[in-house]
Amino acid sequence: MNQPDPVSWRRTSPLAILFFLGKLLRDIVKNAWQSLAPIAALLIASSGNIVDRLKIGAGVALILVIVVSVLRYWFFRFRITEDSVLIREGVVKKKQLDIKFDRIQGINTEQNIVYRYLDLVTVSFDTAGSSGDEGNLPAVPSAFAGALREKIGRPLGRTPTTDQEQHGETESAPLLILTWRDMIRIGLSDKRVLLVMALLSPLLDRLGDETDAVISGYLESATQGAMQFGVAGGIFMFFAVGIGVIFVLALISIAVAFLRYHDFKLHLDGSTLRSRGGLLTRHEVSMDLGKIQTLRLQQGIILRGFKRFVMTARQARSSHRNDSSKNFTIPVVTEELATSLRRRFLQQEGRGLIQIPTSDQFTAISKYSMRVPVLVNVLIPMLVTAVAFSIEGDRATLLFLLWIPVALLHIVKTWQHAGYHYTDEGLVRRSGTIGYRTVALLYRKVQRVTVSRSPLQRRKGLATLRVYMASGSVRIPYIKHELARQLRDVILYKVESSQKAWH
Amino acid sequence: MFQNPEIALDDLPGTEDLDWQKLHPDFVRQMQVQHALIALAPLAGATVISVLLHFPLTPVMIFWIVAIGFAIVFVSWPRISVPRRGYVVRDKDIVFRSGVIWRSVTAIPYNRIQHVETSNTPLDRKFGVATLQLFTAGGSGGDLKIDGLGAEVAEQLRIYILDKVGVSIESA
Repeated sequence: MNQPDPVSWRRTSPLAILFFLGKLLRDIVKNAWQSLAPIAALLIASSGNIVDRLKIGAGVALILVIVVSVLRYWFFRFRITEDSVLIREGVVKKKQLDIKFDRIQGINTEQNIVYRYLDLVTVSFDTAGSSGDEGNLPAVPSAFAGALREKIGRPLGRTPTTDQEQHGETESAPLLILTWRDMIRIGLSDKRVLLVMALLSPLLDRLGDETDAVISGYLESATQGAMQFGVAGGIFMFFAVGIGVIFVLALISIAVAFLRYHDFKLHLDGSTLRSRGGLLTRHEVSMDLGKIQTLRLQQGIILRGFKRFVMTARQARSSHRNDSSKNFTIPVVTEELATSLRRRFLQQEGRGLIQIPTSDQFTAISKYSMRVPVLVNVLIPMLVTAVAFSIEGDRATLLFLLWIPVALLHIVKTWQHAGYHYTDEGLVRRSGTIGYRTVALLYRKVQRVTVSRSPLQRRKGLATLRVYMASGSVRIPYIKHELARQLRDVILYKVESSQKAWH
Repeated sequence: MFQNPEIALDDLPGTEDLDWQKLHPDFVRQMQVQHALIALAPLAGATVISVLLHFPLTPVMIFWIVAIGFAIVFVSWPRISVPRRGYVVRDKDIVFRSGVIWRSVTAIPYNRIQHVETSNTPLDRKFGVATLQLFTAGGSGGDLKIDGLGAEVAEQLRIYILDKVGVSIESA
């Protein structure tokens, strides 16, 4: 079972039932009504009191779910041939999958807590241009997954030498190990915390008001007219509740970070990047360095405080969906590590590229980039406010003018954070408003290039360069037309003369 | 023998003095007919509604004046926009330009093209034009669409480009 065998069809470990059980339960939760309808009918049809009926119903449901999972396991067969993975599955509706090795971009594994004791993993194949999660091999021994990875990573027809096998067995020293401090950083910098806070803030206001009323009423009756204290107490309560909510959210966020990234290790085996981590379910994600299309370094306001970045390597994505599953994310890296990782990832070709946003290597884009945003977001609102004020004469409309400094600050910051930097082999774009985002790419991996010019840009001799990668496009607005054209010609030259594969 | 000569930036072929190929001469007419049909539908709908609901004459007149103004601009727009479009087939890539107000020039190297498609609508067939679509990896509008090529030209281009794509794959 430990070596891929090209001939026979076979089953996975019976523990795959757990995988199918989990998948089934998820499906049931998703389509709760349809799934529960027959059980409800059964409940009503049978006699007896409610508690008994519920017990029977739950029992029947449980048995059904288990039976279906066992059946799914029973009908699941797979086979590894010389150049593809074949999967046959389905109880009633039969399905056969044929995943060719050369379409597989990466092999990722997941290991839940039960599988970990038995050294089993669930393998999922990351394929270019696929929709959804096709192709899972549940509950196979982790050694088998390793062997499969070796086999698929190797070009066809080459037999493994003992040296290579050794390489697969011995683990290279990790490039990065995340500690509990990093979990806190990841948790606190999670954008979702800010989002939830923004959504909750009106609610929080209401909550604050009500507790304020309740508490001050209570205090009033308790302290017999000590009004001062009541108001102070209310304000105190308001802040206490607010801080409490933020604290709880931060804790949840940190817990999530622990769940996903506990004991996170990053390895580079040959040209395969591999990360492993997770508290209960261990995730293993791998990506071939050659498949990286763009390298992204992000720093929001909180990470800026921690002096850390999020690094993401993007692969070619399928044409219809904007899926993030084809990204390889390193959740928190220092500046030095980001630089050394970039050197390893882009190798020789990326040597001159600087991705640290505060570097003085970046060139600013033209100030004219602020003109249209100012017109739309500042001048037009000002005009509208002036007109509204002159008609209504209501002073309150003038409050709207407070918007203008905010909008102006936003526009100026966006301009300040925009920038670009290029070498003979690739370029880096910097953007962002509060934080920074830099994207590095190699010219030879470009799919197509567009140079476009608005009327304003034509008057000022400027242009927007847009570079389309297989992972999405990168736009550098408001640079000199001459430069945009030169960059385009260099990119085309590199693409057309490069002997290396882009994917 | 591996060679890696240094390339001077100025020596790279640019796109400044390219000989832009024009689209099919009947394409302007075809676009105008298409736009006229598009404009006619809401106008007809509005007329029916205003007759059925007995709208007062003045607002209906104003609506008509504005609507006809828009329709005239919309229908005559291809006369201005189509001459601005053009393409150049080069040895290693295909370049396409378009846009009247926002002008853009797009270049696709043949060795990045995934597949090529030609298509035509009934209206296209009436005027003898076709659309050529070039797909690259990555989606997100990751394809170039050239409308209004002569039907034979589109077919020739499709075969030519496929040939180029095949050669680049074999040599890689």
